[in-house]
Amino acid sequence: MYKVRDDEPAYAYIPDKVAPEKNRYGKPIQLVEEDDPLAGQSLRINNDPAVGRNPNRYKQHGFYFTADNCIACHACESACSEKNDLPPHLAYRAVGYVEGGTWPNYRRVNISMACNHCDDPVCLKGCPTRAYTKFAEYGAVLQDPDICFGCGYCTWVCPYNAPQLDPVKGQVQKCNMCVDRLEVGLKPACAAACLAGALDFGVIETTPDKREQLKTRIPGFPTPEITHPNIRFQQTATLPREMTRTDAMPLQYVRDEPGAGEHAPRVRKQGEKRAWNLGKLRSREDPLVIFTLVSQAVIGAFLILFLGPLAGFEMLSPEAHPVAYPALLFGLLGAETFALALSTLHLGKPHRFYRAFNNLRYSPVSREVAGIAVFYNLLGVYTVLVTFPGLLGWLSAESAASLTSIIGWLAVLAGPAALYFMHAIYRIAARPFWNHWQVLTSFYGNMLALGAVSVGLVYGAVLAAQGGASAELFRLLASILAAGLAMEGVGLYYHARDLQRGGGEGAASHHIQTTRFGRTWLARNAGLGLALLLALVFALLPATGWTGAALWLGLSVLVVATALVGRGLFYVLVVPTTMPGAFFWRNQGFAEHAREAHLAEMPQVGVVPDAH
Amino acid sequence: MLFGRKQKNPIKIPDKGVVEWKYTTCGYCSTGCSIEVGLNDRGEAVTSRGVGGAHVNQGKLCLKGIFEHELFRSAGRGRVPLIRERRHEAFQETDWDTALDRVAGEIQRIQAKHGRDAFAIVSTGQIMTEEFYTLGKLARGVIGTNNYDGNTTLCMSSAVSGYKRSFGSDGPPGCYDDFEHTECLLAIGSNLPEQHPIIYWRLRQALEKRRFPVIVVDPRVTMFAQMADIHLPISPGTDVVLLNALAHVILDEGLEDRAYMEAHTSDIEAFEAEVAKWDPDTAAPVCGIDADTIRNVARTYARAGAAMTIWTMGINQSTHGSDGVVGINNLNLITGNIGKPGGTSLSITGQANAMGTREWSSCSGLPGYRQLENEEHRKEIAAFWGIDPEFFPKKRGLFQTDIFPAIETGQIKGLWIIATNPMTSMTNTARIRRILEKLDFLVVQDAYEDVETNEYSHVYLPAAVWAEKQGCFTNTERRVNLVRNVQPPYADSKPDFWIFNQMAKRFENGRKIRFPETTEGAFEEMKQLSKGRMLDYSGMSYEKIERNRGLQWPCREDDEVGAPRLYTDGKFQHPDGRAKLIPLPWTDNNERPDDEYPFWLNSGRVVEHFHTRTRTGKIGNLNKFSPTPYMEMNPDAARRLGVEHGKYARLVSRRGDAVVLVQLTQRVPPDMVFVPFHFHECVNRVSLGLLDPHSRQPAFKQCAVRVEAIEDQTAAAVRNRAARSY
Repeated sequence: MYKVRDDEPAYAYIPDKVAPEKNRYGKPIQLVEEDDPLAGQSLRINNDPAVGRNPNRYKQHGFYFTADNCIACHACESACSEKNDLPPHLAYRAVGYVEGGTWPNYRRVNISMACNHCDDPVCLKGCPTRAYTKFAEYGAVLQDPDICFGCGYCTWVCPYNAPQLDPVKGQVQKCNMCVDRLEVGLKPACAAACLAGALDFGVIETTPDKREQLKTRIPGFPTPEITHPNIRFQQTATLPREMTRTDAMPLQYVRDEPGAGEHAPRVRKQGEKRAWNLGKLRSREDPLVIFTLVSQAVIGAFLILFLGPLAGFEMLSPEAHPVAYPALLFGLLGAETFALALSTLHLGKPHRFYRAFNNLRYSPVSREVAGIAVFYNLLGVYTVLVTFPGLLGWLSAESAASLTSIIGWLAVLAGPAALYFMHAIYRIAARPFWNHWQVLTSFYGNMLALGAVSVGLVYGAVLAAQGGASAELFRLLASILAAGLAMEGVGLYYHARDLQRGGGEGAASHHIQTTRFGRTWLARNAGLGLALLLALVFALLPATGWTGAALWLGLSVLVVATALVGRGLFYVLVVPTTMPGAFFWRNQGFAEHAREAHLAEMPQVGVVPDAH
Repeated sequence: MLFGRKQKNPIKIPDKGVVEWKYTTCGYCSTGCSIEVGLNDRGEAVTSRGVGGAHVNQGKLCLKGIFEHELFRSAGRGRVPLIRERRHEAFQETDWDTALDRVAGEIQRIQAKHGRDAFAIVSTGQIMTEEFYTLGKLARGVIGTNNYDGNTTLCMSSAVSGYKRSFGSDGPPGCYDDFEHTECLLAIGSNLPEQHPIIYWRLRQALEKRRFPVIVVDPRVTMFAQMADIHLPISPGTDVVLLNALAHVILDEGLEDRAYMEAHTSDIEAFEAEVAKWDPDTAAPVCGIDADTIRNVARTYARAGAAMTIWTMGINQSTHGSDGVVGINNLNLITGNIGKPGGTSLSITGQANAMGTREWSSCSGLPGYRQLENEEHRKEIAAFWGIDPEFFPKKRGLFQTDIFPAIETGQIKGLWIIATNPMTSMTNTARIRRILEKLDFLVVQDAYEDVETNEYSHVYLPAAVWAEKQGCFTNTERRVNLVRNVQPPYADSKPDFWIFNQMAKRFENGRKIRFPETTEGAFEEMKQLSKGRMLDYSGMSYEKIERNRGLQWPCREDDEVGAPRLYTDGKFQHPDGRAKLIPLPWTDNNERPDDEYPFWLNSGRVVEHFHTRTRTGKIGNLNKFSPTPYMEMNPDAARRLGVEHGKYARLVSRRGDAVVLVQLTQRVPPDMVFVPFHFHECVNRVSLGLLDPHSRQPAFKQCAVRVEAIEDQTAAAVRNRAARSY
């Protein structure tokens, strides 16, 4: 057990207060009864079999933050980092701020934030490895780095930026509520360290001494509706109508009703100019750009190859391409293998890749991986059976054909289903830029477009070499391509419209895409429009032979380039609903600058140099 | 488990494996927090925590203290002594005897050729009181130079001077417990939450129990200003005007404590005559605070049963620094707020042992608040040390800020710098470089060999840091606290105490005077020298200090604990036993903003750093909060100049220029920029630092600059990076 010293000051102990039965969201605060089989168990902290004697052990605990009082002295963050032995680039708790008003009527509100040990922990649900557990003890949401494989998905879904992906260790770590201290009745290190009467801790929905409010919102804090976080605020001082962030996020928080109401996030436009910033399209998620696009292309191409002949397009059939058909299938299999390897190596701990399936019940990541894996295996089996029909020699020809066909049909179902799950990964409430049906039209659109492009490149060239007529093939593929591009285009149109209408972080993303990446974005849109136009022309006036193949190649380059840029933008533009940062710490803008200006090479700057 | 894994793994929480806790006192600021350092079974310092039962901090620590154990293994420490013939040559590693012989030889050579005062010593507020006492003995009694001062001239000199002028002696009369009793707190030029977070916490605790008006005077809207009931955003350099106006209202409206004034102060008439000139309507346009607010504050302060004033560098670092302190003392003398619970003039000190150097280092006189100008004092100390009193000068020599110009003009040829970094801390860096270049011989004694001043040294002596040695610190409220030895000194570094003792052996007087082998031996000498004086240590011992988690002086021989306050009987240290009310005429002598340089340059500290970052710049969990220099600037002013948030801008003054990252914020007025002072090759490339006539402290916080947008941001980033070795 954590050793309590003889002279432990009174403020360090959690007060034993009477809590209501249920919290404001209707959840019981007593998580399990004392006679529940889950009660009375040891947390086995560092293998210690002892059971804590905290009288409120099975009640949901949470943080109390009096925003009026915080002075940004960093004592809470430091006490946390010291206790958890964290390197400078990592912190479970961080203090950021928003500010507003005009000198001298200026007000800054500092916000200290760690994990809120939510009632509905989206991290737990999102984690494919099931590294997260919500404990009956204190309602703590704990994450086990020994299970984590470092995909970082929890860091995407958490609205508060609580889980921290350590790029050095390749794993996520987060606030552990100092359950070792709770077991002996002490507040977490951060709350015990607070120097301003700002941060406190206790059973949830119990007002701390000399405090009067239990608010769930303050400017800069994301909507509590996503996860029902266990944090309560006091903020009584009158705030200016506009509160801005000092970090690089183009966001401010504005109160619209005169003199009252909540501050809602709004875009902060500062006359930024339209720029290219092509180099900044690259990010840690580069492997995912390739993985998603290749998977979509492979599935699309397979659908065309399998369904095309069934729909009467004989020029796509294995019979028409006895060599190219299986070769193309092997090509798709190879491409998907490459994509899967990339996505695996993108993990912090690739050797734990098999844990991706651990959370099929809740995690869209698990489902996506499972979907892709099923499709991949079916594609493999189908490819082998089509290429080596002799393998089924022991079956009647009819049975062999129907078995192959069944496998193919299953793959046809698995592929789009996998892409549906892939899209579901991005439907994250804490990331409004992604949380739009456009992700689905984009993924399916690219499936069609890139699938058509792939098939056309191979078959077009084969037909040209054979001197066969390829006009019909191109007419079909160009139509599919046009349909895919149109789907993407329609999605993007409504996406941009809805982002602007929706305000908040989504509108901020849109603001970035039209300013910082404005030229790139326009070029991508133009590329998409041009590709659609050319595809339609191609569909109506198909070329053939080497001319056709060459024109198709040109069109393909345009489509692929557009897709790459578009997917690159998709990852770098997202503005999460996370907490405001400070001027240096937790400011993406400064971190980027520190890497570019080589400041990050000094470890004490707290920014890890980029590896990608 | 409610939800999630069925098969639970044990929870892993880092356990640092502490087997022993050692008691020490924090070595950063002068709040004087008691710290326990945890050692693992290999004897390594692995964690720090505030001592639960300590009077000052009651278990709390600020972030610097929380990571203080990381100092022992921080980068840039000096391993062995370094030596070179000329400044432009590379250093050679050497042994202690060679290094010390060279230093002693150079001191003797320079003194023989140019006179005793041609060798100067500039020390610090960082080392232990016993070390200060020993250094004082060495400087005054052995080496015998009168050009001996501490870097406290850059921070506390105005407070010392103001206390001496008003009360007849240095020594802050109040204590932190006064927050528990006061009915009004006036804070002038003190950003308590940022500079002294634990003292702020003590104030916050008092306010949680009982509300009382808090009035903060600061041109910036600091967090403290936001917390205040009344914030007075004063014009830079006009504190004396405000203080005179407050006194004016109090006397004019008969709110003063006339009985206290008559019983305990002198020179009332001259004071009243000067104050009469400063009615609020005259003062308002000068200090930028409207007349009604001045009246309101004066009445609030005067009507409070007990009222106290705290201040830090906003007062001290000014051309009227000493006068500002006197003005505060005047205010408290006329309202009878000295020496009573909740009523005091409490200067919030900077360095861990700025008080120790003031008390015992002999920089400004002789040990134990004795003066060179006083024949009795000279005789007393000469007798105690066993030397001829005529060896002492009869008047104190140059302050640090006058020693450097004396090097410039060739009067001083050699310099010994101890635990201070003028290359970063003094104004006008370019001039400091030229000055250091001129020295025939410079020895730098510091825990860090990458301390920037070392660029100009001939000999570098690697010193032990903080709890690698043992001794006492005195804090802001006169509390003497103990640093126990926690770790052996790094590599071949040595405690400053040992270095001074070894140096003494190389001089004739040093072999005559007794230099105790242990710090406890030196402490015994201090006890004897302080017995019966206001600054009385005679009731203290190391063991008793640790048991009480610090003892305040005076602590007389049979006292269980020390006295929380001075002057409780209204008896002051001037010969007539009264405090002086001193008239404070005011002249506007700052370099004010004009068309060419339209901004005030203000500077100050941030909570994560200490002074010139030689320590905090290497501890990532501190440094990451501001790893590179920046400037707060008002967005309205920036817009006109095309200066952008998060980009570099150039700061230009009549002295030079600096490159800073721009942080646009309405916390600073439109005609002011604020730059933290911690960074090398930054704010002090442009600062001016006019000197206070009494304290010789530089006015770091007032000069004029202009701001220019930088087109080539990449070049600016390269230049900034080049100035950061840590």
